[in-house]
Amino acid sequence: MKKRIAALTVALSLSMFGAAAVCAQAPASAAAPQAATAAAPQATAPATAAPAQAAAPSANAAAKAVAAPAKGGAAPAKITPNRGITIGMFALIIAVTMGVVVWAAKKTQTASDFYTAGGGITGFQNGWAIAGDYMSAASFLGMSGLISLYGIDGFMYAVGPMFSFIAILLVIAEPCRNAGKYTLGDILCFRSSPKVVRGVAALSTVTVSIFYLIAQMVGAGKLMQMLLNIPYRVSVIGVGALMVAYVVFGGMKATTWVQIIKASLLMGATTVLCLLVAIKAGFNPVRFFTDVVSNGAIQEHVRMNVLKDVIAKPGVDYGQRFLEPGLFLKNPLDQISLGLAWALGAAGLPHILMRFFTVPSAKDARKSIIVALFLNSSFFFMISVIGFGAALYLTPQAISAVDKGGNMATLLLAQHMGGGAGSLGGDIFLAFICAVAFATILAVVSGLVLAASAAIAHDVYVNIIKDGKADQQLQVKVARITSLFVGSSAIVMGLMAEKENVVALVALAFAVAASGNFPVIMLSLFWRKFNTAGIVSGLVVGTISALTLVMVSPVMTYPKKIAADAKKVVETLEKKQAGGAVLAEKEVQALEKSRTEYVKNKDGKSMVGLDAPIFPLKNPGIVSVPLGFLAAVFGCLLFRERRAEEMFDEIDVRQNTGIGITSAADH
Amino acid sequence: MSEKQQWEAIANHSKFIELKRRKRNFLFSWWIISTIYYLLLPVISGYFPEAFRVKVIGPINFGYLFILSQFVMAIGVAIYYAHVANKTFDRLTKQLLEALQ
Repeated sequence: MKKRIAALTVALSLSMFGAAAVCAQAPASAAAPQAATAAAPQATAPATAAPAQAAAPSANAAAKAVAAPAKGGAAPAKITPNRGITIGMFALIIAVTMGVVVWAAKKTQTASDFYTAGGGITGFQNGWAIAGDYMSAASFLGMSGLISLYGIDGFMYAVGPMFSFIAILLVIAEPCRNAGKYTLGDILCFRSSPKVVRGVAALSTVTVSIFYLIAQMVGAGKLMQMLLNIPYRVSVIGVGALMVAYVVFGGMKATTWVQIIKASLLMGATTVLCLLVAIKAGFNPVRFFTDVVSNGAIQEHVRMNVLKDVIAKPGVDYGQRFLEPGLFLKNPLDQISLGLAWALGAAGLPHILMRFFTVPSAKDARKSIIVALFLNSSFFFMISVIGFGAALYLTPQAISAVDKGGNMATLLLAQHMGGGAGSLGGDIFLAFICAVAFATILAVVSGLVLAASAAIAHDVYVNIIKDGKADQQLQVKVARITSLFVGSSAIVMGLMAEKENVVALVALAFAVAASGNFPVIMLSLFWRKFNTAGIVSGLVVGTISALTLVMVSPVMTYPKKIAADAKKVVETLEKKQAGGAVLAEKEVQALEKSRTEYVKNKDGKSMVGLDAPIFPLKNPGIVSVPLGFLAAVFGCLLFRERRAEEMFDEIDVRQNTGIGITSAADH
Repeated sequence: MSEKQQWEAIANHSKFIELKRRKRNFLFSWWIISTIYYLLLPVISGYFPEAFRVKVIGPINFGYLFILSQFVMAIGVAIYYAHVANKTFDRLTKQLLEALQ
């Protein structure tokens, strides 16, 4: 076993290398067309609701984005990491994490080892791992970008993820650690018909994890394409192969340690970058923000690009406006809805839930949340300093020239602070940040694969098909096969989803977790009367209402709207032409592109056959969460079940005291 | 005694009832208070943006400080909870387990 793993590790590392090296040899020719793809707005916001939403307006306004360079004149700038150093850093990270996998694989013998690292992770370690799950590439790259372009509105996004820890800490972490074993199904099936509930819970877990996973894979593909010119397909397959290797061989132990390593690297990188900004500002926040609001470039960016005031309105301080809300987040109801989805959805995410089973006691579960909360709040705070710093020292114009969504702000700032493009310090710092972003994606996707495969292997195969009668060896074998299957499907879906809207996928994952999973977990733990019918109706109605509302919401792509935008560009430019003006080369290109865009989209319909959204909000939480709760309560009251009520005492005692908890395996 | 009766016996134990009552009062009231405070952020920024524009120190306005206060609130609630849990809940649980033996 050990030899096989080692051989595979080497093969994998080499193939990743090979791919990178091949691309490294042909960058110049690829650079030009790829700059165009990379600039495609929605593409690079890798995940989580926050920055993903950032991409939304630009995604809908693809046609506008095309027109923009025509006005600006200069071609979009590109970020150019030093390939040698960057590939070296990537290789180092792959080598270290693969070492962890080989070590973890030796210790993975039982199902408990595979799913929960034998319950042998300490609260402190688990805290780092949970924090790592929250620090996705989107919060690392997307949030700082959002702040650098839209000021304080971007910072507001940081509050949701951080606050979600309170719900988890107070009502989820300890009870789940006390009552559960490996999966969501374990908690829910306690006093209901196990097979039905496990089936539905597995379905919901797989749905949530897969949506989130695909979003991450698409983000990874786009990011690698943008940074290193590695083709989309190659990077999706590369990231996918590594994540499969981590999970299949190393199980939860490897996944956790990869997450811890990544979280430390990320915290380190963020701290250094934040300190550099702070030093430059003389550790004086008032001076820092005074510089921000009096910066001419920021003022112009807010006036021209964000508020579109061609002539400055008298009495408006455009610099100060950068520190006021409403530049990016425009619909208050949508914000409240998103806030709700964050506060509850994170508590229903299966890969987060699963982390509470890895610690030996409820006390450790509590400790891990507090550690994670500390890490994440300092992380998000530092990200805000980086975002404002990037706006101040690089200008929003330069940042959006590289990427419309601002996703490259952190990377550009690292390069700048390290000594600028082309300098050794700049190259090394940039390469390091790129490698950390890569490690981030790997760690997050591994956790997702593990959660989805646990639901299939443990809930569906072992407990439904085999009635719980499977020996440890078989269980681990099945878990490994399932992980391989889930991972491969994720790669295939990632390849197919290249053009999909990442925003919609992430909105879906969170909405389903908040409206399907969260109500039934809560009611299972705290309501005596809750039963099978309640769980099934809550999960089904919550999930379906969330799915349906997102499908008809503004986050989906509506070809007719794109066509209308394209038509506007065509009309404006044709009018200009008719007026006798000669179009610049950029404008001719924009005209051509908008014409094809118009023809391609004019008769199109959205994925569910709509011309325009029916539901006005990007996030359905405010409607679907109450629906999920109501359905759970009604379903339960319609079909009363005496046994469930009688068994409440058991789950009540267990979740409050931890009596009967499975103890940590000894290693 | 069947397994079910055992659980029932613990559930009716006076020490368990006390533990549960104190835990739920604490957890749910703090959860609700903090959630209301959290939801004030989108509500104020969306419906009363003027409030966020009030400058407090130099260019730093109430909005920025309010966002920071969310961080402080979350950490504060977490630390307070950990303190109460370590002191009160764990002690009550231990007492219950001892009483059961």
